Amino acid sequence: MSGAFSFEERERRVHSILAAARRLADSRDPLGQEARRALPAATGLSEAGVELGLSAHLETSVSPDALAQLIARAGSAPSVHVVLSANVFVGAVRAIALALAAAPSVFVRASRREEVMAPLLHRALREADRGVDFEMASTLEPRPGDEVHVYGRRETIDAIRASVPQGVRVRAHGPGIGVAIVDAQRDVMPRAAALLAGDIVPFDQRGCLSPRLALVAGSADEVDAFGLRLAEALEQRQQVIPRGVLGEEERHELTRYRDTMQAIGKYHAGSSFSVGIDLAPRGILLPPTGRNIHVARLEFQGDLTRLLGPLRAAITCVGHMSASPLAALAMTLARGARGLPLGLMQRPPLDGPVDLREMV
Amino acid sequence: VRSFIEASVSGRVPAESFDELGVAILTYQAEHVPAYQRLLARSGRHPADGADIRALPAMPSEAFRLARIAAHPPSDDVVVFRTSGTTAAARGEQALSTTATYECSVIAWGRWALFFDEPKPLGAILLAPRDNPDSSLHFMLQRFAARFASSTHYMQTTATSPIGASALERVCEGAWRAGVPAIIMGTSFAFVHALDALGGRKLPLPRASRAMHTGGFKGRSREVSPSALRSQIAQTFALSENAVVGEYGMTELSSQRYEATLRAEQGLEMSSARQGVFVPPPWMRVVAVDPESLLPVAPGEPGILRFEDLANVDGALAIQTADRGRCSGGGVELMGRSPGALPRGCSLALEDLLENG
Repeated sequence: MSGAFSFEERERRVHSILAAARRLADSRDPLGQEARRALPAATGLSEAGVELGLSAHLETSVSPDALAQLIARAGSAPSVHVVLSANVFVGAVRAIALALAAAPSVFVRASRREEVMAPLLHRALREADRGVDFEMASTLEPRPGDEVHVYGRRETIDAIRASVPQGVRVRAHGPGIGVAIVDAQRDVMPRAAALLAGDIVPFDQRGCLSPRLALVAGSADEVDAFGLRLAEALEQRQQVIPRGVLGEEERHELTRYRDTMQAIGKYHAGSSFSVGIDLAPRGILLPPTGRNIHVARLEFQGDLTRLLGPLRAAITCVGHMSASPLAALAMTLARGARGLPLGLMQRPPLDGPVDLREMV
Repeated sequence: VRSFIEASVSGRVPAESFDELGVAILTYQAEHVPAYQRLLARSGRHPADGADIRALPAMPSEAFRLARIAAHPPSDDVVVFRTSGTTAAARGEQALSTTATYECSVIAWGRWALFFDEPKPLGAILLAPRDNPDSSLHFMLQRFAARFASSTHYMQTTATSPIGASALERVCEGAWRAGVPAIIMGTSFAFVHALDALGGRKLPLPRASRAMHTGGFKGRSREVSPSALRSQIAQTFALSENAVVGEYGMTELSSQRYEATLRAEQGLEMSSARQGVFVPPPWMRVVAVDPESLLPVAPGEPGILRFEDLANVDGALAIQTADRGRCSGGGVELMGRSPGALPRGCSLALEDLLENG
């Protein structure tokens, strides 16, 4: 198989899906226009939120180094069956790229909640007619030796693991969160707040890299001020990229998060975001998705281990502004997490799955 | 509060009404519990303004994990109960400056649900260790044993040690031979461990014996549905299913809810005596509220549960949980946790935080 499915062929297949993605990113392309029409309803994002995803977060190119890493991480199988999640619509490109790099035969099952991206990419590949393709599948029928790449909720992953025949390898990419580390001694706080707001807004924070927690080292006043700056930055972003529709669970959780933070800390909320600040944290309260961020103060370095320790397995990404000892410690704790600069937490290089925890 | 409890369980009219006492306690808490002060300030309401208790904000149960919710300084603590947990995550706490009210509530409602017929003698078999000072459940079991039992057997060495089948067999066989009824009590997952250790062996207990189990399973043992667990406990110890009583408690509260099945079985008619329906005491109100507006839903409709517990003098009288349930006919039917909320209680405080990917 290695001769027929050479490294060069794998590269070609990845480039083909990126070319398909470029059509969707292009607002003048009929497929790009169709994506813009259909995605707001399918994702719950605002039109501007969809545009942000397509124009700034959809992978359309790859560096040679990243591509080599992606191919290495993709592995090899006769067939890969991809089960997509609905949360981050651009994730279809990376998931399909990995599958195309891994196997000559690829089947893609879209989420019932988001059936736009994968079919559009499928059409783009067919129209390109370069001999690179995948099948859209409504069922999952792997055979021994195949791989299933599943993206989504823990329940989905568990159900698929339980249902596949023996000899099928399931590579699962489950839920996770991004964590931002900010250090008042080293970082320019207003800049850090602005960059972090830029990481919270895409996909209305529903991605597994989306920051839900910011640990801020500094005095109580500095952390308080950072929280306020972050609220201001989120308000500014809201003017340009309005939040989409919150789900029922998100609204319910937000009520609880609001009341809890009003009781134990501080809470700043705008029309489409909230910032909870805990200046003396005993533990972490994660806010719901939908542009809500929990800011907790780190008074001592040991606080980071204490607060982050219980969450370590869930952390997919550590965002930081400077290469501080705190960021390094967070990376050590969250083994397998990506380390990314603030402002780029939602734009990791196309060097493998966004969530690298499965690779550890 | 203790007078209210004693009057209400003995059928007398308390000197003060629930609302009068409740407003007085909330006013005290508004003055002395900083977290409640902040909640009230945000809501623009205050108990001293004559507001209906139900219109006043309730402390979210998560707050007990993140901050001290107490009207007294730590130096006045006589006990701090903590939610269970196996991880390094912060645990919810209830700090008490006295256990007198807690104990009064526990004994009064335990007697109502489990010991109303006052069987004597009675053996207590606790699927628990002798010492577990953090646990409000353990405190309660110890008080039950001290008040209602003539002998007490602990089935664990420590909170994490296994329940030995041979020790359990010895105690149950001893009770059977002596003809002394027993009450066997523990968390649901402790019962599951005990049943697993017994491997299907039956340990019949004498007539008039009973069992009490509490809490869920998440993360601690294999999961068993409440009805299956009830059935297995009943079969193993030769009890009727109605003699297997479920308790629904929370570390953050000072009063418990029980299934009234044992009372019903013994002829004390109860409109809400169904399995899976938990009855609160007269000094506690439970209401299901809409998860977004936090306004009460219609009786019988599902919502998240808000508790108003007069026995919670030292912390927060009104607590808003994420437990889903419905209230009707004086009982509460549980429907699981609100999606996204942290699991809590005797099941454990495992993080199951993340549903997004």
